[in-house]
Amino acid sequence: MKNSEEKNTYNRRELLRDGMRGALLLGVGTVGGLLTRRTQTDRTAWQIDPYKCIACGNCATYCVLEESAVKCVHAFAMCGYCELCTGYFEPEPAALNSGAENLLCPTGAIIRNKIEDPYHEYTIDEPLCIGCGKCVRGCNAFGNGSLFLQVRHDRCLNCNECSIAKSCPSDAFRRVPADQPYLLKEVQQSE
Amino acid sequence: MQKSTHITGKAVAITIILALAIAAGIIAFYRIDTTGRKGCCLGPEFGYDLNAYREINPDLILYKEVKRFSTGLQETRAIAVSRGDSQNIYVAGDSVIVKFTPDGKKLSEFQLENPPRCLTVGEDNTIYVGTKNYIVVYNNKGKRLSQWEHLGPNAYLTSIVVEKNHLFAADAGNRIIHHFDTSGGEINQIGAKDPSRNIPGFVIPSPYFDLAVAADGLLRVTNPGKHRIEAYTFKGDLEFSWGRPSLSIEAFCGCCNPVNFALLPDGSFVTCEKGLTRVKILDAEGNFIGVVAGPQQFIEHEKVCNEKTANRTAVGLDVAVDKQERILILDSCISEVRIFTRKK
Repeated sequence: MKNSEEKNTYNRRELLRDGMRGALLLGVGTVGGLLTRRTQTDRTAWQIDPYKCIACGNCATYCVLEESAVKCVHAFAMCGYCELCTGYFEPEPAALNSGAENLLCPTGAIIRNKIEDPYHEYTIDEPLCIGCGKCVRGCNAFGNGSLFLQVRHDRCLNCNECSIAKSCPSDAFRRVPADQPYLLKEVQQSE
Repeated sequence: MQKSTHITGKAVAITIILALAIAAGIIAFYRIDTTGRKGCCLGPEFGYDLNAYREINPDLILYKEVKRFSTGLQETRAIAVSRGDSQNIYVAGDSVIVKFTPDGKKLSEFQLENPPRCLTVGEDNTIYVGTKNYIVVYNNKGKRLSQWEHLGPNAYLTSIVVEKNHLFAADAGNRIIHHFDTSGGEINQIGAKDPSRNIPGFVIPSPYFDLAVAADGLLRVTNPGKHRIEAYTFKGDLEFSWGRPSLSIEAFCGCCNPVNFALLPDGSFVTCEKGLTRVKILDAEGNFIGVVAGPQQFIEHEKVCNEKTANRTAVGLDVAVDKQERILILDSCISEVRIFTRKK
């Protein structure tokens, strides 16, 4: 009976010892968490600033990958869904249909779907896109600039020295946080 | 003797191989772009070149630039000319309306609560200013007279015109024309898609949507996504339209043009296009007459516009015509007014 009471007693020494252990574990956990977070934040990836990019075509040829990691992407919120899309059609198309002679993209990587007369949706067929930026130039020349180039991180090797960045004439390549790896265009809202 | 010949042949072979290797190395050294400065090696099919369309036959250019002046504003939106004898020039931009003499001397300015999108001046010199989604009325001294009803969150006013007791406001956000009386009461809406009335609806891919009332009493409205100018009665009936898409000088280029227009006293149109920056004269039926200014006159405009790619909403030209039939072009990229007169 007496032994059982002794076992249930929690003396001051044991309280201090367990308290110290708890504090130590908490400290180790906190430091570990902070270090992990800092490591993740410090990780960066290459990306193209779409407002600096001039779609020169270097992205298609300077990437170390056989098929460039740069692809065209589409900001649908900015798109005018034009019937005569200057990113899709040649500057002076013979007809507004998907005949090869009318298409701007040399690899046929843009898909045109009619939504409602006269609006059309344009999507990028990524496996066909080589990141040449021809559609980007067409869209910027006349339209809202909703087509633009981005480094796709499902294929980018994130080289320490990116060969496209080295050749970029407009200094559009820059390092961005790896947890926010895309620089997307947005519709400007103003009063 | 045989051994010597064998050694000589081996030496020649090694020399040739070495020479070929050195030649290959030299060729590779010069062919590989180690600096990235040799440019893109894509073929011509990957090029996008509009230069052939930038050249305009000089015989087609009927106007010459006689004056240009800076508005002093960061961002300009619209230009209008007063209808009285003064022919003062009004420019809307930033959060002000600035008044200039016909020679470009600044007379006055007054502040607005919100950035303006468009303006027009009535026969009594009342100034109607369109902000994003409502209209504010000022007298000629800049005193605020009234503010009209808010047109909703989707409204985006791009042009207004007043004709006697009627005021029309082009709403690019809702793709309609609001028809008001001059006290702000809405009479009707014009141009909403209605197959039963044979009205196709406006297609406005970018925020350019202009209108004017012609001498024949019909409202003329741009339908930029269809590359047309359409004529409506004040009741909203579509009477006729003209215009077609093409990069050729007689038509409207790109995805969505014309962006703005003004009317000359003889009923012909002064149209502005973006992309290939062109200002042209077309007669009342849309037949091409001549060019006021082409891309070669807007080199600085296009350079600055390209630098402003983050703000592509400010790339279009606005235009007004005064009583002397001078064409006043507001270049929103360089914030200047450029004045053109017809060559003799």
